[in-house]
Amino acid sequence: MSFNKDILPPELIKDRGSLHPINHMKDSIMSLLVSFGFEVVDGPEIETEEFNFDMLNIKKTHPARQMHDTFYVEEKLNLLRTHTSPVQIRGMLEKKPPLAFISGGKVYRKDDDATHLPMFHQVEGIFVDENVSFAQLKDLIYKIIYSLFGDSVELRFRPSYFPFTEPSAEVDILSKEGKWLEILGCGLVNPIVLENCNIDSNKYSGLAFGLGIERIAMLKHGITDIREFYKSNLDFLNQFK
Amino acid sequence: MKIAYSHLVSHIQESPTLEMVSDSLFQLGHEHEVEGNIFNMEFTPNRGDCLSINGLLRDLSVFYTINHDQKFYTDELDNLQIDFENLSQDICPQISFLKLEIDNIPHTYKGYLNDYFIDLNINKNNFFTDISNYISYETGQPTHCYDANKINGKLIFQELNTDQEFETLLDKKINLTDKNSVFLLNNEVINLAGVVGGKRTSCSSKTKTVLVECAFFKPEKIIGKSIKYDIQSEASHKFERSVDPACHESVMRRFINLVSEYSNIKKMSFVSYKYEDIAAHKIPVNVNKINQIIGINISEDEYLSYLLKLGFTIDNSLITVPSFRSDIETQNDLAEEVARAIGYNNIPKKELSIPKGKISNNYDIENKLRYFLLDQGFYEVINSPFVNSSPDVSIRVDNPLDSNREYLRTNIINSLLDNLIFNERRQKDSIKLFEISDIYTLKDNQIERIRRLSIIASGRAGHNYEDFSKKINIKYLTKLFKEGLPGENFDFQILDRNSTKTKIKNEIIGCEVDISNFSTEVLNYKEISKSPDNFIQYCPISELPYSHRDLSFSIKDHTKCKPLEKFILEYDDELLKKVFLFDYFYNEKNAEIKIGFRFIFQSIDKTITETQVNNIMSVIIDKAKKLDDISIPGLI
Repeated sequence: MSFNKDILPPELIKDRGSLHPINHMKDSIMSLLVSFGFEVVDGPEIETEEFNFDMLNIKKTHPARQMHDTFYVEEKLNLLRTHTSPVQIRGMLEKKPPLAFISGGKVYRKDDDATHLPMFHQVEGIFVDENVSFAQLKDLIYKIIYSLFGDSVELRFRPSYFPFTEPSAEVDILSKEGKWLEILGCGLVNPIVLENCNIDSNKYSGLAFGLGIERIAMLKHGITDIREFYKSNLDFLNQFK
Repeated sequence: MKIAYSHLVSHIQESPTLEMVSDSLFQLGHEHEVEGNIFNMEFTPNRGDCLSINGLLRDLSVFYTINHDQKFYTDELDNLQIDFENLSQDICPQISFLKLEIDNIPHTYKGYLNDYFIDLNINKNNFFTDISNYISYETGQPTHCYDANKINGKLIFQELNTDQEFETLLDKKINLTDKNSVFLLNNEVINLAGVVGGKRTSCSSKTKTVLVECAFFKPEKIIGKSIKYDIQSEASHKFERSVDPACHESVMRRFINLVSEYSNIKKMSFVSYKYEDIAAHKIPVNVNKINQIIGINISEDEYLSYLLKLGFTIDNSLITVPSFRSDIETQNDLAEEVARAIGYNNIPKKELSIPKGKISNNYDIENKLRYFLLDQGFYEVINSPFVNSSPDVSIRVDNPLDSNREYLRTNIINSLLDNLIFNERRQKDSIKLFEISDIYTLKDNQIERIRRLSIIASGRAGHNYEDFSKKINIKYLTKLFKEGLPGENFDFQILDRNSTKTKIKNEIIGCEVDISNFSTEVLNYKEISKSPDNFIQYCPISELPYSHRDLSFSIKDHTKCKPLEKFILEYDDELLKKVFLFDYFYNEKNAEIKIGFRFIFQSIDKTITETQVNNIMSVIIDKAKKLDDISIPGLI
């Protein structure tokens, strides 16, 4: 039999917590975009119709403005922002081009079912300078998607429609199962939006993009039910250490 | 909207395959599912002009040669005398009427009209309504057919405050409230404009004289009505997205031609009212601007050739936008047309370089706090802000999802308390949670935004041999936080457990702090945790109950500690959810180590049985016993 003179106790394994997978994904994407040169800007979740819709060229008749799509508060004086774009409007009103902002956070839409929640997260970015083109937007989107999903992933651009961008596109990636999955929306900033922010659209142009964090986190982690994120179940959270 | 491949391809000279047409539609931005020979289309809201065979053909003409082989009635039309007044011309700046009387009513159709009903599996109605539905499918312009013999008075179009019951031609009774654009006959609503017609004046299988109405309504006056009255209407879908204001006569002439294929027309007359000139939009030709927007270098000839194919006309260096493209206003809109024609995926990317940005200080402080909490075993959660309680400072949601989500929360800690109880009910004996969020309240009638950190904890201090027997209390947490973040103030409180309706007696400790209260000293914290580099593949979690077993070992030969620890902690079984070393004691007197492990079992799909647990434990014990100089006290 052998005895050690100095008995060492077993390793003390301290429990570590975890970041919420949505915040972790949001932070990862924002860090990536900061490494590309974007500056982080922040804004309120309670917004005015002016910043959430009007300044973004979303017409009074747009269905998104209806009570069945947007949460209004305090007798329609304000609303819960439906996207993080108003933060960029505030940024463009404060600073002169060239400018490159990203904003991330909670947004709200009046949905509640197995695939949609009334609260979800977005990261959006905007870059305004002279001669910004759609071809440069494509370069940026390729860099973002390759960083997130690896540079062997196949992607495609589809024409789409957003009132605040023109041309507008949606970007899909090809899953391992051979299905195209929508990942983000993007486009060149509509000159009307630039003018709304006192930016000369004859001199400057811009690109913008937005990603839904839950969607990307679901794809990256293989989660099929969006509601899992918000049950605060320790068995769920414990997996993201 | 469903469109049959055969209905499209019959007008395309090159006869492309279904796959080729599908690819072309995708390139143009017209998302769809292919269901057999049917394209189930999902158009973007700005492309109301594509909601028809002709609309899609106009876009496909970028790639293919389109045969314009539809026949129109070309003779002169008599002027229709109709008792009609438009009292809301700003809403309906253009409207036309066609009156037709036929000899006989056909009961069967042939050729493309028959194919329309068969291929798309659409129920037939009556002759004139069938023609109207087909015309809408082919041209994109909804028309409404009244039985002309039922129009026995003055027809009025008007937006007015209505409070009356209206029976639709779909046999649905709706109560019209607030402002609606309607057609009135003898003060009675006979048509909810742009949405659905009324039963009282609708055509039947016996109708031989029809009054066809063809209108342009301002989309903003139609939007929301179909949702408000819960009416799924193809007409409202089209009017909401805008129709071509210049198409009335050609649509009516096509209507006449179709009717004449099936019946002798005894009488017909037509009238069109234009209250407002909808001027064609003109944009200067500027290929340099288009090249700059897209980032390409095409010639002016190539640029204009795309626009000509899409129905634009060019005259004196001005591009005239066709009347059906209400979405085109700027050079950027034209650039999108060109980019679609070239194909977004065919546009080469160009290197983009952005000067380096910076991250705000607040973001850094928040991150440091988060990593400090992670190192202390806390889990980050995110909760919905909607609650049912209403302190005076709460912000009320005007249109909540339900009465339980009528206000915005005024603190985070109550959400964390719910999270804690949720996990206690799932047999968690050590719960540490935190959330950082904005909180919005009313202060002097102004909305105040405060960023807060909230922390909650209860149960065992941890799952290791030092913390397992310690209970979380104010003293424990205060010491932990003071050591980690000296100088910062966490005012921990015991939270009231009475409202939780659980039998568990552990103290619940929590605090909520404004992020702005933290000093930049927080930035000095050296975190142990790092966020994971890669993203794990999630394993579905079980909602079934746990079962646990504790096992203690006595060890005389201290060198056997490590092998035992390794064996137990690395033991793998699909029902063994977690194992940890919860007890360690060295008895100096008899030079013996006592070491205890807790095993937690749970199944993903059924409640675990005592027998299953015992069987796994037996295997573990048998294998452990094979290690020399290790005994399990109390085990026979």
